[in-house]
Amino acid sequence: MSSLRNALPRRAHKERAQPSSRKKFGHLEKHKDYVERAKAFHKKEETLRILREKAANRNQDEFYFKMIRTRTEDGVHRPESEANKYTQDELMLMKTQDLGYVLQKLQSERKKIEKLAASLHSIDNQPTNKHILFAEDREEAKELQSQYSRSEIPLISDNIHTNIKRKIDRSYKELEARRTRLSQLQKMYMDMSMKKELRKNGRKRKLREDEIVSPTTEPVYKWRAERKR
Amino acid sequence: MKGGSRVVVEPHRHEGIFIAKGGKEDALATKNLVPGEAVYNEKRVTVQKEDGTKEEYRVWNPFRSKLAAAILGGVDNIWIKPGAKVLYLGAASGTTVSHVSDIVGPTGVVYAVEFSHRSGRDLVNMAKKRTNVIPIIEDARHPAKYRMLVGMVDVVFSDVAQPDQARILGLNASYFLKTGGHFVISIKANCIDSTVPAETVFVNEVNKLKADQFKPAEQVTLEPFERDHACVVGGYRLSKKKKDAE
Repeated sequence: MSSLRNALPRRAHKERAQPSSRKKFGHLEKHKDYVERAKAFHKKEETLRILREKAANRNQDEFYFKMIRTRTEDGVHRPESEANKYTQDELMLMKTQDLGYVLQKLQSERKKIEKLAASLHSIDNQPTNKHILFAEDREEAKELQSQYSRSEIPLISDNIHTNIKRKIDRSYKELEARRTRLSQLQKMYMDMSMKKELRKNGRKRKLREDEIVSPTTEPVYKWRAERKR
Repeated sequence: MKGGSRVVVEPHRHEGIFIAKGGKEDALATKNLVPGEAVYNEKRVTVQKEDGTKEEYRVWNPFRSKLAAAILGGVDNIWIKPGAKVLYLGAASGTTVSHVSDIVGPTGVVYAVEFSHRSGRDLVNMAKKRTNVIPIIEDARHPAKYRMLVGMVDVVFSDVAQPDQARILGLNASYFLKTGGHFVISIKANCIDSTVPAETVFVNEVNKLKADQFKPAEQVTLEPFERDHACVVGGYRLSKKKKDAE
């Protein structure tokens, strides 16, 4: 009987979305998604069961040499301390290499700025320098003054293609960005070389606030003069 | 619109000087007297005119040339123009000299005086390709030594950076600068007196020039390009009468 029913074409049963009247209960899960979720859950369940079993059957006398150096604290594994992984000399060499890399980047940045600035003269901007006109007497001075105020430096014609203008703007932006990067690199280089100097041998101390001649935000150190042959 | 429109070159307020505008240029430039050659690895731009001929311009770096820095600083008149005869003291390797030679063109002359043999060598090499440059490897303190080479000039440019540079300029002007000629002098405050503020040095130098029959007309500092530098421009032995006529 049932086989006969199976032979008849049946209307496909379509899963519904959550009806609007039941929207407050949230998203209605489809069976396909449920299967996936349930499988994942059971897999984790099984894993936990196996782990529990293993823990229960654990050999009390189990020993590894790593157990001497590392341990678990409140169930969290604390890895071996790496404080003395490198010797003083090795550390010094690494610092020097870092410093060298920063210096290299700094110099390449400086060269790039030089190259860009050589052909970007901000011609349309008013110059920021000081311009003095010499006059022999009062009258001439007045004349010069009136002349100079009238003859504003004319801007270069605006008929330049917008495409060129845009490109020039972009170049100026690049120059500005490189300049900020250069100043950052310089600061970093100074900091790093200071740290490197401090790691070296030689007696030094940090100056107190009242001992610093030109005040800075950074700490100032003084090395003791050491006689060298 | 192709090719030629990538860079636009327009004449500057000063005759013989141009402004190049392009993708990466917003720069002062001079028309290259020797197309296809760069003197100090400067950038060159080529533009195609409407009739199909090509013109080459060389970008003028104000960080390497005090004259370019003064022009960008808005100096009113540099007196160096096409056809002018220029005496250039302190030519060094000839970077600025090459641009001055571009400005004065084939009808003008640049007498370039440099004391150091080392940089004089570059100067001579540059002058080999530019017929309007006459290199002179001599001490500018003794103009009598090269008086046979130099004729009367319209403009003296001095960039010698010596404590007695006003005297050097006066000496050379008395030999070679025509009456009513002009001078351009670049002053590096540190080279003259590093113990007093730059402003004081400039004032002192201007006073020295005034005592030497020079009449300074204007002074610009070369601020974004050089620190504590100034450029003074003026006339020489200007007659009172001529001034009244103006």
